[in-house]
Amino acid sequence: MEIEKGKTYKYLKEKREIPESVKENLKNYTRIKRTILDVLKEGDMTVGQISEKTGLPRHDVLYYLMTLAKYGFVQTGGIDDMDEYFYYKIKA
Amino acid sequence: MTEEKKKASYDALVIGGGIAGGEAALNMANNGFTVLLIEKDLSIGGKMIHLSKVFPTLDCSACITTPKVSEISRHPLITIYTGSEVRNINRLSDTLFEADIIKHPRYVTEEDCTGCQLCEQACPVVVSDQYQFGFVGRKAAYIPFSIASPRVAAIDIENCTLCGACEKACPTKCIDFTQQSIEYLVRVKTVIIATGFNLFDPLKIPRFGYGRYKNVITAMEMERQLAPTRPFNTVLRPGDGKVPDRLAYVLCTGSRDVTIGNPICSQICCMYSIKQAQLLMGALPMADVTIYYINIRSFGKGFEEFYDQAKGMGVNFVKGKIGLISEKENGNLILRYEDVNANTVKEAEHDLVILATGVVSNPDNASFFTNNSLKLDPFSFICQTDMLASPARTSIEGVFVAGTASGPMDIPDSILSAGAASSEAMSYIISKQ
Repeated sequence: MEIEKGKTYKYLKEKREIPESVKENLKNYTRIKRTILDVLKEGDMTVGQISEKTGLPRHDVLYYLMTLAKYGFVQTGGIDDMDEYFYYKIKA
Repeated sequence: MTEEKKKASYDALVIGGGIAGGEAALNMANNGFTVLLIEKDLSIGGKMIHLSKVFPTLDCSACITTPKVSEISRHPLITIYTGSEVRNINRLSDTLFEADIIKHPRYVTEEDCTGCQLCEQACPVVVSDQYQFGFVGRKAAYIPFSIASPRVAAIDIENCTLCGACEKACPTKCIDFTQQSIEYLVRVKTVIIATGFNLFDPLKIPRFGYGRYKNVITAMEMERQLAPTRPFNTVLRPGDGKVPDRLAYVLCTGSRDVTIGNPICSQICCMYSIKQAQLLMGALPMADVTIYYINIRSFGKGFEEFYDQAKGMGVNFVKGKIGLISEKENGNLILRYEDVNANTVKEAEHDLVILATGVVSNPDNASFFTNNSLKLDPFSFICQTDMLASPARTSIEGVFVAGTASGPMDIPDSILSAGAASSEAMSYIISKQ
């Protein structure tokens, strides 16, 4: 096939099958991102509070929160009264 | 795969672009020799570029590494292939080696990428970031890490959905999914092996719970948490994001332990743990840090004073061997240990445990040479055949070893060793002319 610069992904798409696990991972991330951002609309929350609301394990919540913070969706707020857990909020 | 192998020749082939390989390449190039530097990762800089600070001076590791890496990258006599591997090396004569090298596709034209990260913003896929030990995600189109050299994007083809978003976003049209592996056949006069070391895999000691308990991490993972480019922007325990206040270090994880097949001392764990303990006291002023040790081996210049400094800062040193780590419901960990001085078994509760994993050999070392055998020592590090008189020499004439490929050592010793290897390699070339 003719290869057009800037659209070379089409070339590889014809040769390479995308594994189901890769498609599943994308769906999973998109779903969790939406879930966490929806929950945070209710107010600032700690990892534990988000975990309770979403049913996601705490370590997963931290991973996704930090990823969302890295890409500019979430930011860290204040810390709780015991100086143990930070609150997280939607980036203004 | 292209059918024709690309041919080239250089004075020296340096395998491994860590601090030792880089230093050896730079020394040779500064003396007028041409060097091909092969790095299997996407960036040169090895393990050192990922560290927070170095012992015993507490200098910023990146501040030492990045100027050096930049000098290596810009040197006109050094050619660097990242994402590449040496498949095999044939010794044709005294001063002629022929190496088969494969460069894996990055799917980005390196020369055209400006490192703008627009592809990264456009990419919808998030996977675990290997350079942050999975504490945070990264995209499938990504710059490996912020101080990577070359600071050029790469496509993680295994996780790419081929949606084309990165290509549409790229202003220089440098993303190229038609790239394939390139094979090179390179002729060189000398070879320097600087393949470094691997960190011990703590999954091999299941009683420590690494992998099962999220709040048991390795010291390299803590190193990332302490670095300026850290994943959490503060120190948090990975299990639930709590700011830890009772931290424990378990020294000799995978070193000086015959039960896991590594009886030797890793030489760096005592000091990097003491360093991290001091950094943690700075980052978390209210935290208690306990180091469980067999012996503290502070043998280098300024090391004992550095150890004393940690004690002075309030780091708690306990001479004890850890038998078992178990997890409580709240994510805290119970360490069952033998208190050697009190001669009893005790238990202590901590909220984050850091395993000071040791240095083990890189298995790649044994596989390079086809018609000569590169002798290894009993622990699979490269054997220094004349260790006292000429420590850079190996069992193959014209092949030299630099850095931790020959055994555990710290950063200054690695750089010294690279100096020795490059000097020997240059004098070898000159003596054979």
